[in-house]
Amino acid sequence: MTTYQTDPEKEKMMQENYLWDASGAPDPEIQRLESLLADFRQADRALVLPAEIPATPRKFPTVLVHMLSLPRLAAATAILLALGVTLFFMRPRLAPETDPAWNVANLQGAPQIGTKAIAANQAPAKLHVGQMIVTNGDSRASLSQSDLGEIRIDPNSRVRLLQTDATRKRIQLDVGTIHAAIWAPPGTFVVDTPSAVAIDLGCAYTLQVAPDGSGTIRTTLGWVGFHLNGRDSFIPAGAMCSTRPELGPGIPYFEDATPAFREAIVQFDSTSADSPSRSAALATLLAEARAHDALSLWHLLSRTTGPERTQVYTRFAALVPPPKGVTRSGVLNLDQSMLDLWWNSLGLGEISTWRFWEQSASPQPSSNSQQMLEKKQSLRKQAP
Amino acid sequence: MAALSEIRSSRSGPPAVNPPSEPGGSPDDALVRAARRGDRSAFGLLYARYSRMVHGILLARVPFSDVDDLVQDVFLQALPRLNSLREVSRFPGWLASIARNRAADFHRRFKPNEEFDEESASAQTETLTPSANHSSHSSAEAHAVLDAIRSLPDAYREPLIFRLVEGMTGPEIAARTGLTHGSVRVNLYRGMQQLREILGRKTSPPTGGGL
Repeated sequence: MTTYQTDPEKEKMMQENYLWDASGAPDPEIQRLESLLADFRQADRALVLPAEIPATPRKFPTVLVHMLSLPRLAAATAILLALGVTLFFMRPRLAPETDPAWNVANLQGAPQIGTKAIAANQAPAKLHVGQMIVTNGDSRASLSQSDLGEIRIDPNSRVRLLQTDATRKRIQLDVGTIHAAIWAPPGTFVVDTPSAVAIDLGCAYTLQVAPDGSGTIRTTLGWVGFHLNGRDSFIPAGAMCSTRPELGPGIPYFEDATPAFREAIVQFDSTSADSPSRSAALATLLAEARAHDALSLWHLLSRTTGPERTQVYTRFAALVPPPKGVTRSGVLNLDQSMLDLWWNSLGLGEISTWRFWEQSASPQPSSNSQQMLEKKQSLRKQAP
Repeated sequence: MAALSEIRSSRSGPPAVNPPSEPGGSPDDALVRAARRGDRSAFGLLYARYSRMVHGILLARVPFSDVDDLVQDVFLQALPRLNSLREVSRFPGWLASIARNRAADFHRRFKPNEEFDEESASAQTETLTPSANHSSHSSAEAHAVLDAIRSLPDAYREPLIFRLVEGMTGPEIAARTGLTHGSVRVNLYRGMQQLREILGRKTSPPTGGGL
């Protein structure tokens, strides 16, 4: 039997790589410190900004104040204004993004574009439409485009670029986790997954897809629309939502809801309409709901029927009275304009953004994504 | 605080287009420019990208139980002052300075004997306990390790906290702090070396080594 001796220098270098970018042979000491210190890590917390931001006053030299009498000041202002208007119309227009390829950077390990590894410390590689980024267990990558935003790709993920043009940027997440920070206009960035399509509505979020095609989204800023087969879920900052193949997105909920409420949502989503446990789950979540949980109740209106929908309406109206123009019968009949009005009164985002998007583009999964879904469904049917 | 509204509602309504970055600028530069023009969602994205860095800088200097609130303070201080930033590319260093100043200000306002009194120590432990799967022993050990990192020189403690606590890699630290890869690499290795020495002294008999 051959005994292999480790080269101490090589081992040291590999461990140094681990300290540098978590690649190479894991250093047990560092891993232990990471684990010990993990509880000090920053928790996801939304930034709260005042409605009015007071601007920092700029100091104006007092000498200038004395030099400028009021008439002179008025004349100077008029000249500057005219100059400003002239310059505004003469300003050079920024060239739109001309390179359709996206930048890919190595954040850790050896992520690949197709089968080609992206080396560390090199200029960003390019990802073209149709190409796929693959990360293994110890690699991470970032994907960016200056007029879109940045997407960080976690280990064990597969991401394909499907479309990139002036109006739409579309990727497909087969499996794994991405963290998206998007500054493109709402509705521009779309992610296909095997069980739903995620549409950015101006936000930062984390999207996870499990090997069975189910997914979870957590929004940290703005909001995201989740869509499949006519079922929509809106997930604002601080909320999360699961999605399952064939069924599509579930009921979104705020992560600070009570544990009983969250469990009841999961139970409700995972049982069929005629199951007694679903009724029990609905009763629990209605009892546990706070005004803030109106997010979930609004979605429940369209996921329930008959007496269940009436129960949801009653609890919802008690927590957040319907605004002017919204009637009980209208809501129970799922009148879209009334549901939209009620949604807007929740202060979670203006639903016209979504309606605008719905009219301008089909939110159905791309053909690639649809094939992926069909393949998974066929495999499931073949399983014993 | 009733007048506060969360950043999440800031991009509601018809598309509030953030312009692309100017030629030669990084995506972060474009965000800083947009935030200066009053785009609150751009500022929110800067928060999403830099809050870990700010958290790390503060954690290197102030009690854990105060860090989250101070992170918010730092961004709230930075927002109205964005126009005083002459070069947008210097945003990371500028924000880091605000965070360090905020930590110094915290200590100026705080009586020195209050920081590590029994109450604040138990508050820190309590803050950790709910999410921790660790025993109280490992929680105490975690505090001991954090204290050891805090005792290191400035140049070493921040990179180590970014790497070991915030989970950032060396390239990410360099990108967020504006330091070169070489500087971050050297500081990480030297800091780690010193940390090993301190922890070795604390936890091992004279002949022992490691953590």
